Amino acid sequence: MVLDNKIVRRYFTWALDTTRESHLRTLSDVPLFTGMGKKLLRKLLIDLIEKKYTAGDIIFHEGESGKAVYVVIEGSVKIIKKSNSESKTLAVLGPGSHFGELSLIGQCSRFATAVAEKDSLLLIMYKSYFDDLIRGNSAISSRILLNLAEILSKYIQRDQPE
Amino acid sequence: MNEERHKGGTSLTDLRKLRHQMPRWVLALLVFGVAAVVASRITHLLMMLIAAAIIAYIFSSVICALERLGIKRSVAVILLFVLVTVFVIAADLIFIPDLKQEIMNSYAKFPEFSRQTQDALLFTAEKYPFIESSITKLVDDVFGPSGFLERTLSASEILMQATPFIMALILVPFFVFFLLKDWPGVMKRVMDWIPPSYVETTISVIAEINILVGKYLRGLAGDCFVVGVLASVGLWLIGINYPIMLGILSGVANIVPYLGPIIGCTISSLVALMQYRSFDPVLNVVVLYLAVKLLDDLVIQPLMIGKSVHLHPMLLVITLIVGEKLFGIMGMILGVPFVTAAQKIAAILLEHRRETHKRECAERLILHRLGKSPVRPI
Repeated sequence: MVLDNKIVRRYFTWALDTTRESHLRTLSDVPLFTGMGKKLLRKLLIDLIEKKYTAGDIIFHEGESGKAVYVVIEGSVKIIKKSNSESKTLAVLGPGSHFGELSLIGQCSRFATAVAEKDSLLLIMYKSYFDDLIRGNSAISSRILLNLAEILSKYIQRDQPE
Repeated sequence: MNEERHKGGTSLTDLRKLRHQMPRWVLALLVFGVAAVVASRITHLLMMLIAAAIIAYIFSSVICALERLGIKRSVAVILLFVLVTVFVIAADLIFIPDLKQEIMNSYAKFPEFSRQTQDALLFTAEKYPFIESSITKLVDDVFGPSGFLERTLSASEILMQATPFIMALILVPFFVFFLLKDWPGVMKRVMDWIPPSYVETTISVIAEINILVGKYLRGLAGDCFVVGVLASVGLWLIGINYPIMLGILSGVANIVPYLGPIIGCTISSLVALMQYRSFDPVLNVVVLYLAVKLLDDLVIQPLMIGKSVHLHPMLLVITLIVGEKLFGIMGMILGVPFVTAAQKIAAILLEHRRETHKRECAERLILHRLGKSPVRPI
């Protein structure tokens, strides 16, 4: 990979995209992308869309059909589940976390509502792009699907009665 | 004063009321209609922008590949432009001489061709008396003293036609450069401007258009290239003059659905008729073009363009006619992907509307159950 070559780094810094490096570091901490090398992450990063949310913005509502997975780059996001009239906070996610991953599998509706707790910067991956990516790149697809299976098994274990 | 307003004109409040009373689809149709009228008035600029967008689309995958290597986007675009310039110069040195020779030959021999075509047509007219009058009229209209050729090939007409072409040669690469370089920045601004509740819908619309138009244009470019090569090789094999030039022409004409292959076949047939003054080679040309068309429909198009464009045959014909009426050839080329994309966008927006309505109903139901809302849920 060009960017990882020391000589290239030294003499061609002007030609290299260093602004994406910080996103790349955050992306490497995301559980969904664990085990993926810089080369694969850089491929993935090209298709992700950046969006700023202000505190209090609702990112998606519970019950909506999910079309994208989100990665928190800056700020924090609260995941809220409504039951009757009460709202329960399931998690508060910071930089390096992801949410909405179930939308990548089939036509799943959103399990909970996501709200920006602080001003946040998120990376969004649309499902069709993900489908295109895994169709064209077996290394990315096998890694992400393995991570997804691991995340789902953790959810199941967590929800098992003691 | 107020009374006067009510009697005579429309106040701003009335207009606002009208805007709220008007269904959204009527508003959308109005906006679309105004946009279509404006677009048809600035066809030249629009065509250059569309051509630039098509070229940018085709090259966007190269830029993405360079970005994936870690190269800055602006540097990648400059690198691409340098590579294309080098390629054009190399092609000019290595491949183009033959084509240049063909063009120069055909230009030098044009008066002779013109006479030969007239002779061939008049010879056909003599052979088939029932079409004699139409052919004589055609010869007069095209080759006569103030006919089509005389008018088209006059110095002033060539200059008039060449000016927009030269402008396009300068402006299209200029537009392509900035479209390629600044597209992610534009997208970022659009995303920042979009309200949170519309983000996923907007991304779906952008992604679906991107995937569909990208696939269609890249496929179309590949399809035209293969058809052009097949036509060139076929024409060369059956011994027709200027196979490269005719192949390129057939490939480019193939962009226009249905009409393109007919244009390519007609021009090649005319060349064959002029060359041999017999109908046998013309028959060979027609058979060749039929074979290429068959191969294109059954193998090349499904492989290159795939199933990216689904349109009902009736809607396809209507699209071609309306596209041609509004924007000429460009309208015919882009009408099909435009209508397909519009269909997809409409489906996505309807789904968004349905979901918003569903959510609002659920929220009203909860509020009603809690006794916080006097309104019964819909």
